[in-house]
Amino acid sequence: MIWVTWRQHRAQAFATLIGLCAIGAFLLITGPRIASAFRELQACPVFPGQDCSSLHEAFDRRFNSLQFVVPLFMVVPLLMGVFLGAPLIAREVEQGTHRLAWTQSVTRGRWAVAKISLVCAFTLLATGLFAWMVSRWSFPLVAASGTRFGFGVFDLRGIVPIAYALFAVALGTATGTLIRKTLPAMAITLGAFVAVRVVVELFLRPRYLATKTISYPFLQESPRSGFGDWVISSRVFDPTGRFSSPDGGITVNPSSLAQACPHISSDPLGPGKDQVGRCLTQLGVKLVDTYQPGSRYWLFQGIESAIFVALAAGLIGLTFWLIRRRIS
Amino acid sequence: MNTIALEASSLSRRYGGTWALQECSLSLPTARVVALVGPNGAGKTTLLHLATGLLQPTSGSIHVLGEVPGADPEILGRIGFVAQEMPLYRNFTVAEMLRFGEEMNRTWDRDLAVGRLEKLSIPSSQKVGTLSGGQRAQVSLAIALAKRPELLLLDEPLASLDPLARRDFLAALMESVAEHGVSVVLSSHLVADLERVCDHLVVLRNGHVAVDGDIVGLTRKHRLVSGPRHTGALAGVGEVIDRVDTDRQTVALVRTDGPIMDPTWDVRDVDLEEIVLGYLGGREGSSVAADPLLRTVPPAPSEVRS
Repeated sequence: MIWVTWRQHRAQAFATLIGLCAIGAFLLITGPRIASAFRELQACPVFPGQDCSSLHEAFDRRFNSLQFVVPLFMVVPLLMGVFLGAPLIAREVEQGTHRLAWTQSVTRGRWAVAKISLVCAFTLLATGLFAWMVSRWSFPLVAASGTRFGFGVFDLRGIVPIAYALFAVALGTATGTLIRKTLPAMAITLGAFVAVRVVVELFLRPRYLATKTISYPFLQESPRSGFGDWVISSRVFDPTGRFSSPDGGITVNPSSLAQACPHISSDPLGPGKDQVGRCLTQLGVKLVDTYQPGSRYWLFQGIESAIFVALAAGLIGLTFWLIRRRIS
Repeated sequence: MNTIALEASSLSRRYGGTWALQECSLSLPTARVVALVGPNGAGKTTLLHLATGLLQPTSGSIHVLGEVPGADPEILGRIGFVAQEMPLYRNFTVAEMLRFGEEMNRTWDRDLAVGRLEKLSIPSSQKVGTLSGGQRAQVSLAIALAKRPELLLLDEPLASLDPLARRDFLAALMESVAEHGVSVVLSSHLVADLERVCDHLVVLRNGHVAVDGDIVGLTRKHRLVSGPRHTGALAGVGEVIDRVDTDRQTVALVRTDGPIMDPTWDVRDVDLEEIVLGYLGGREGSSVAADPLLRTVPPAPSEVRS
C-alpha cells in the first residue's frame, strides 16, 4: 500500500517539495538582511543620542514591501487541500479504479486508512517544515511590529498552518468522496476552506477566552505596551459626552476645551499637548482597551489548532463512513 | 473444496426507489464457465458487485465459495474480479500495474503475470493509458489471474473489444481455465461469443433470474416449434417460453421434457442465442418488430416431422 500510494501521488509530492524549496530559497535570501537590520534596531537604545524611532521607521519602510508574501503563504494549506486532498478518493471513483483496488486482497477500510494516513503524514511534515521556516524568517519582523496576533502573522507562524493544512486535506478528501468528481471537489474545497477560515478568524478567534480591559489617561502610552497584546478595540470613555465623536474617536475643539478647562485658554498659540491631556484627565476622559494578553499567544495557537484538527478528524471520519457504506 | 461457486437466495438490491436485482436465487457450480447474460440494466453488474463485496444486499443473502463476500479480506483474495471497462491506473506502466497487484495481494504469481504479458508481447515499460483496448483487457486479466483466485468474475470483458481482441481474450481465458481450474462467471450482452466457451447459463431480465442451468441440459430441453397460426393456448408442446403469432404462422420457444409428438408442429433444435433471446423476449413481448427471436426463425414450415 505504501508503494501504491507513493506511486499514485508522487507527482503531487514532488510539486510540494519544489514549492517548499522555492519558498525556502526566498527566505534564505531575504532572511539574513532582515535579521541584521533587526540587530541594529535592538542595539539602538545602547547608544545614547541616537534617534531610535526614525531607525524604527526606516526598518518598517525597508521591509514593508515583504507584505506581498502574506497572501502567497496564506494559500499554502489551501493548495494542499485542493491538489492533494480533493483528488485522493474522487479520482479513483471517477476513473473506476476503486473497484480494482477494493477487489484485490486488501479491504477498502485498510486501503483508505493507508492512503489517508500517508497523505496526512506527508501534509504534516511538509507544512511543519513550511511553518518552521516562516516562523524563523519572520521573527525579526514580528518582534519589531510588537504583536504576534495580527492577520497574516498569527496565521502563518507557530503550529496553526499545520492544522489548517490537515483540515484542508481532510476537507478535500471528504468533499471528493462525497461528490466523486475531482474538479467540482477542488472548487468546493476552495470555497469551504476560505469560508471556515474567515469565520474562525473574524468571529471565533477574538472570543477563545474572555478579553481583558485596561483604561489609561488620554494622550499617554498604554501601560500594556510592550507585552505584545492583541488589542481588539480601543475606545474613548468620556463621562462629559463633549469630546467623543460618533465614530468612537475623540474630537477636541478649542471652544469646548475652553469651556471645560477655563485656565488653559490663556496661551495665544493654543493649548499644549500636556495641558490638553491634563485637562481631559481631570474631566475623567480616558482610553479603554479591550485586549487579549500577549502571554496567551501559544494558548490561542493551541485552541485554533485544536479546532481545525477536530474538524479534520470529523471529515476523515465522514470519509471512512462514505467509503464503507456509500460507494460501490 | 466447495462445489458451489456462487449461491444467492432471495438476493435483492435497491438503488433509491428502483430494484436492480429482486428476489434472485441461483446456484452456480465450481469448475464451470458461467455466462451471465442480459440486456443492459438487467442487474448483471449489480450481481457481480454483490459477489465481490463491493455492494451489500438490500435483502436476501449471497455466498461466494461458501463465504459472505466483503466480510473479511480472506475471501477477497480468493476472488479475481475484472470490473466493467477494465479500470487500470492510466499513468502507471504495465510493470507498475503488476507491482500494484503484487503489493495489494497476499498470493501473487509473478511468473504467471509476466509470462502472460510477454507471450502477448505487451511491453512492460509502456504506460497503461497508451495500450489498445485488447491489451488493456489482457493486463486486467493477467492481474486478476496472478492472484491465483478460485473464482474469476468478469464484468462485460468483451464489450469494448473488437472481434479479434475478443477472440484473443477468450482464448487466454480458456487457457487459464484449463491450466489452473479456476471457475469463471462472465457477464455479457453478446451471446454469440459465449457459446464456444461457456457451459452454464444465467439469464437476467429486469432484475430477475429468467434462466439458470447447464447449457447442454438447456439446449436439450428447449425446442423451437412452428406451425400454422394458432389462437389460444398451445397444447402438447410443454411450457411456452416465448411465442410470436404472425398472420400466417405461430412460432414458439418451448421447454419440454420429452419429444413433441403433435404433427402440426415443425420442431427444431435451438442454440444458446435462441434460448437467451427467447427468455429475454418473454411471453408478453411478442410484437414482430420488437422481438429479436423472429429474425432467427426459419421461413414457414415446409415439412412436418415428429
